[in-house]
Amino acid sequence: MKGARAAVELLEKQNVQVMFGIPGGVLLPFYDELVQSDIRHILVRHEQCAGHMADGYARVSKRPGVCVATSGPGATNLVTGVATAFMDSSPMVAITGQVATGVLGNDAFQEADAFSLMMPITKHNFRITDPKTLPEVVKKSFLIATTGRYGPVHIDIPVDIFTSDITEEQMSKEVRVPKPKRNLSDLLDAIKLLENAERPTIMVGGGVAWSQAGPDIVRLAELLMAPIVTTLMAKGSVPENHPLVLGVCGMHGRQVANYALNNCDVLLAIGTRFSDRVTGKLSEFGMKTKVVHVDIDSSEIGKNVKGRVGLVGDAWTVVHALIAGLQKRKKAATWKERILVLNKECDCDYDLRSDPLKPQKVIFELSKNLPDDAIVTTEVGQNQMWAAHFYKCYGKRMFITSGGLGTMGFGFPAAIGAKVARPESVVADIAGDGSLQMVVQEFATAVENDLPVVVALMNNGWLGMVKQWQKLFYGSRYKATKFAGSPDFVKLAEAYGAGALRVDRPSEVAEAIKRACKADVPFLLDFIIDPEEDVLPMTPPGKSTTECIKGRCMWKGDVA
Amino acid sequence: MEVMMMLVYDQPGVMQRVMGEFNRKRINVETIVVGKCEMPERARIVLSIENREKATSVIEHLRALHEVIEVDLVSSDRHEAYALLFSKEGVCRITGTVEEVDQIVKKSQPERYIQAMNAI
Repeated sequence: MKGARAAVELLEKQNVQVMFGIPGGVLLPFYDELVQSDIRHILVRHEQCAGHMADGYARVSKRPGVCVATSGPGATNLVTGVATAFMDSSPMVAITGQVATGVLGNDAFQEADAFSLMMPITKHNFRITDPKTLPEVVKKSFLIATTGRYGPVHIDIPVDIFTSDITEEQMSKEVRVPKPKRNLSDLLDAIKLLENAERPTIMVGGGVAWSQAGPDIVRLAELLMAPIVTTLMAKGSVPENHPLVLGVCGMHGRQVANYALNNCDVLLAIGTRFSDRVTGKLSEFGMKTKVVHVDIDSSEIGKNVKGRVGLVGDAWTVVHALIAGLQKRKKAATWKERILVLNKECDCDYDLRSDPLKPQKVIFELSKNLPDDAIVTTEVGQNQMWAAHFYKCYGKRMFITSGGLGTMGFGFPAAIGAKVARPESVVADIAGDGSLQMVVQEFATAVENDLPVVVALMNNGWLGMVKQWQKLFYGSRYKATKFAGSPDFVKLAEAYGAGALRVDRPSEVAEAIKRACKADVPFLLDFIIDPEEDVLPMTPPGKSTTECIKGRCMWKGDVA
Repeated sequence: MEVMMMLVYDQPGVMQRVMGEFNRKRINVETIVVGKCEMPERARIVLSIENREKATSVIEHLRALHEVIEVDLVSSDRHEAYALLFSKEGVCRITGTVEEVDQIVKKSQPERYIQAMNAI
């Protein structure tokens, strides 16, 4: 059979049900074979969004998302989507077309060295130059994407590979990829540390979301009497209505979460890489703390935080090993009591009634009115931090955000991808006007494919987060952060065939959200929010939490 | 100096991927030797870098690469060196211990030369 037929069959055998992409010259033989395939193809309006949709799909379904782009500009546009998935360890198979092997390297029309471009932002990537390797490469890609720490895999396929012959023997070739080695040799040390801890705290990261070890970690926390703080990536992996779960820590985290993080004597960190957005000033992070670091990726142990007990393995396995190894203990009862009280006190002033509309009010109403299985995605910036801080994620709720790369324009296409993966759930993108304008064309994709996502637009007319930094750290010298020429977003959404509603009064918010959730078309809520509202509390970059800017935060507990 | 030895797949793109990790960590490779080895379709890379701290910061990242089969630091008391000296009389090859080669190069003050230290 021809390479193109083989490629489609291989994808079908991998149980690929949907792919996101845009065709192009070198992909024509491949798309010709897709005509007869049952694989659903979602035509996006920009390749970057194909990447984000596949990413959003993967985060909901926990299976690799597949995105397709043509050679040259298709591949370069896809780069942002792939890099976003890489930084957040999301499984993805990204396929790009390439010019024919005969002209490869000769600056042919629409040629870009996609293989080299993708190399540092993928877990692994392939350039197929020999047709007989096509089957094993495709099989390996799916295996690599989902073995060990998840990640994107890229395959660059020249057009003549699609038209070459592939034999049955090549198609049936078995492949293997090495499994990452587990190393639990320090398990006893870890158990001893945890058993003797007076103020233990558990910090969970994105790894826990991927391995779905949340319920087990809650059990471990109850056993240890330890509070749980989450990173941005782990939001939603443990139920935020549990009294021991303190919410998101870090730069814009809840003060009680940062308090627990800074005042514990033993920190059990699971599936997190100690991002600078969490640790603040790295040299001061955890000076009084003994760290037990659990990660599936051995290269993460000791990368950012030194002097720790390292356990290499997936969150689920290690947590179960810890639970099995721990003796009953009661030492941390005072710590637990203190944290429970502080957690109740750490409730912020939402300012629910004031005019102009406050963003916190919008998030509060979303938290209250979205169903218990709602999926929330966010863009990047103030909208993301308000969502992380004020939205409550529990039950079957999910929270999807670009934590590592911080890609503006991620949330809307990721919401579309999430809706494809779980059409029965309400999917809402908490957006900012800066981010949304980077990907607004995808309204066409959502309308065309009948994917009724909700876009809750926090419209303040600024690149809000950058403005906030200019305000706080650059003497309010605003440059290039004010949008003087924003479109009428309601009209814009309606022009695409989506529903839309402008909301500028606090009393209208709840009703608008309910209406959007019931809509059978994509629905934009244009919340006109107070442009002067900052995301606070905030720990300035590179500073320790003692230097936190509190704003209206009423936290009374100390930090250091 | 630390010497690192890797077994890798012998195919295009491998060097770029391996060097990419050194680049990301801002580690300068002092000397590198690559060649075919006792196994078909495999190659060995031997390279030297400045110190152990740098070596340990990159080694787990190298192990995570799918084209790298094994990586280890090579401990040896006697590190071999190799040099080519270019002069009007022609090209002169020197091999020996690091100290020996270093001394000869310094003494003969060649117009142009290349020194491969530790990594052979």
